[in-house]
Amino acid sequence: MSKISSILIANRGEIALRVIRACKELGIKSISVYSDDDNRSIHVKRADETYRLGPSQASESYLRIDKILEIAKSSGADAIHPGYGFLSENDVFSDECKKNGIIFIGPTARAMELAGDKMKCKEIMKKAEVPTVPGSDGVVDDMGLAVEIAKEAGYPVMLKSAFGGGGRGIRLVNDEKELRQEFELASNESQAAFGKSALFIEKYLTNIRHIEFQLIRDSSGNGRHLFERECSIQRRHQKLIEMSPSPVVNKEKREKVGEIAVRASTALDYLNAGTAEFLADAEGNFYFIEINARLQVEHPITEIVTGKDLVKLQIHVAQGEELPFKQQDLELKGSAIECRINSEDPFYDFAPSVGYVPNCNIPSGPGVRVDTYLYPGCNVSGYYDSLIAKLITYGGDFYEARIRMKNALSEFTIEGINTTIPIHKTILEESNFVNGNISTDYIEKYNIIEKMKHKRDQEYKDKAYAAISGILLQSEFVKKSYSGQRIDRSQKSMDGGFF
Amino acid sequence: MKFQIEGNTNKINAELVYNKGSGDLLFVIDDQKYNLKLLKSTSNEFEFILENTYHYVKILPSTETKYKVYIDGIVVEIKKHSKITEIIEKTLKSKGTTYQANNVTSQIPGRVVKISVSTGDKIKEGDPIVVLESMKMQIAIKSQKEGTIKEIKVKEGSTVSRNEIVAIIE
Repeated sequence: MSKISSILIANRGEIALRVIRACKELGIKSISVYSDDDNRSIHVKRADETYRLGPSQASESYLRIDKILEIAKSSGADAIHPGYGFLSENDVFSDECKKNGIIFIGPTARAMELAGDKMKCKEIMKKAEVPTVPGSDGVVDDMGLAVEIAKEAGYPVMLKSAFGGGGRGIRLVNDEKELRQEFELASNESQAAFGKSALFIEKYLTNIRHIEFQLIRDSSGNGRHLFERECSIQRRHQKLIEMSPSPVVNKEKREKVGEIAVRASTALDYLNAGTAEFLADAEGNFYFIEINARLQVEHPITEIVTGKDLVKLQIHVAQGEELPFKQQDLELKGSAIECRINSEDPFYDFAPSVGYVPNCNIPSGPGVRVDTYLYPGCNVSGYYDSLIAKLITYGGDFYEARIRMKNALSEFTIEGINTTIPIHKTILEESNFVNGNISTDYIEKYNIIEKMKHKRDQEYKDKAYAAISGILLQSEFVKKSYSGQRIDRSQKSMDGGFF
Repeated sequence: MKFQIEGNTNKINAELVYNKGSGDLLFVIDDQKYNLKLLKSTSNEFEFILENTYHYVKILPSTETKYKVYIDGIVVEIKKHSKITEIIEKTLKSKGTTYQANNVTSQIPGRVVKISVSTGDKIKEGDPIVVLESMKMQIAIKSQKEGTIKEIKVKEGSTVSRNEIVAIIE
């Protein structure tokens, strides 16, 4: 296979920027595409070339396979990187790329189809002796059948989109009434986001951890795992905080489950980067749940603890190269944490918050990495996912990484929208989190929302006098400007002279 | 002037008492003296050092009685108290409450993907009225009370902003 010299990035936001950076490192031309709402976005500004895709709705832009391929061909792109979300796990897209002679940087359509179909995947895993979650089997597209299955499994159950990913379209229902209400919503959501609607039902287990293993496999069949990521801090099954290593995985466990993860990727004849997701119970049993056939949002923490650049590796594997390391060459060093900064109001049931960001301050310093599309004067669009930044910190151990995260969060200011920063600040100090005592129901179990509100009230008290001083300064300003004193509008700073 | 911080019952008394010039000012807050050094100011942004701690304050669009202040990365709501504003608030409250409760408002901005009720429908508390889509999520706006749908203010496919009225209940 020939070397890739230009890549079209069929995505937006921080992940598009991440891929652009990898392209620049490798001397590859980067080509971005944008929707109307994104015409001032960072991926438009940073790519070597940029092309308009269409109107703002994802279905009219980032999900348009025909338009993306048309631009790829006319701009002379050798390869397409799909990022995560959008078309990243769409087997038709992967196949269409191949048919058009364009390298798809990701799994083959076949592997993707198997991985994406959670039920078929489960079957294959059972044959490969990979332990899976006990529970339902089969896709449910009928409400009556859904009610029956849920009753048999026993409430609460999870309603999942078979083609979904990233937690969207997953709903927890506690009784039949809720199931009937949510089934329709989840089905519509799946239809809108992925163009297909097929749901399945799984028994909801409690006090469990979500732990996943990073995988990469080349076209010669060499598969490696790049250790685990602990992703148990979630809200409504959406990851909020991830870390590597996990506080409950020792060297022995890591090797054992890592080997199972590689076996799972072999069973699917998987290609390129992917993730094997497991649920771990209190006794330390790991159950395979699915393979995410894409680069994960939380890939940076793995990059940090392994010293491997996953996006560059993806490109190397896509152009047919063999992986340059063996399993025993890999070593997990230090500790890394990622906080997902979403444009949501954590004080208002995480309602989406969108709009203009007049100013922001991106944290920096020792052990800090920020992957974001924010810049002062940018716009946060309501058409796409709410992830606006990934704040990653690392250190020699968890303690150092955590303290750096605490400091970095206090440096991170974003004006104009609400974000999840307050909940992260609360969690980073909470004693159960500090001691590694976490599970997927952590937020509810330890009343994190209440603790966050309490912390905010304290912050209000701390800032009260300064805020009031600001109000008095402004009323003084207004008074003076009405009393005839001339204000030079062109001069922004009026230090000294005015007051 | 008297101020009250959101979520706090205590009132804070604060005045600017002295302007020494060159950006050095003296405030008295709750009977204590505070030195403030103004570093930069525009009509709504102020950078200053208050008793040896730096602050950045931006006064966001506010009403006469309630200020929204962006300070060091957080937004604080502060009420300004005076005799007049208290009287205005009391009259607004007594007139406005019953009408307000009949409005179903959207807590988030989004696009209407489904309207679950029709005019004249009898509904119970918690019944979904419309379904909004925003940031890839579908969220149902539910009724806060029992009643009959008098009017639906939105159409499928239209966009609504935060606090917009989507329906009126009788």
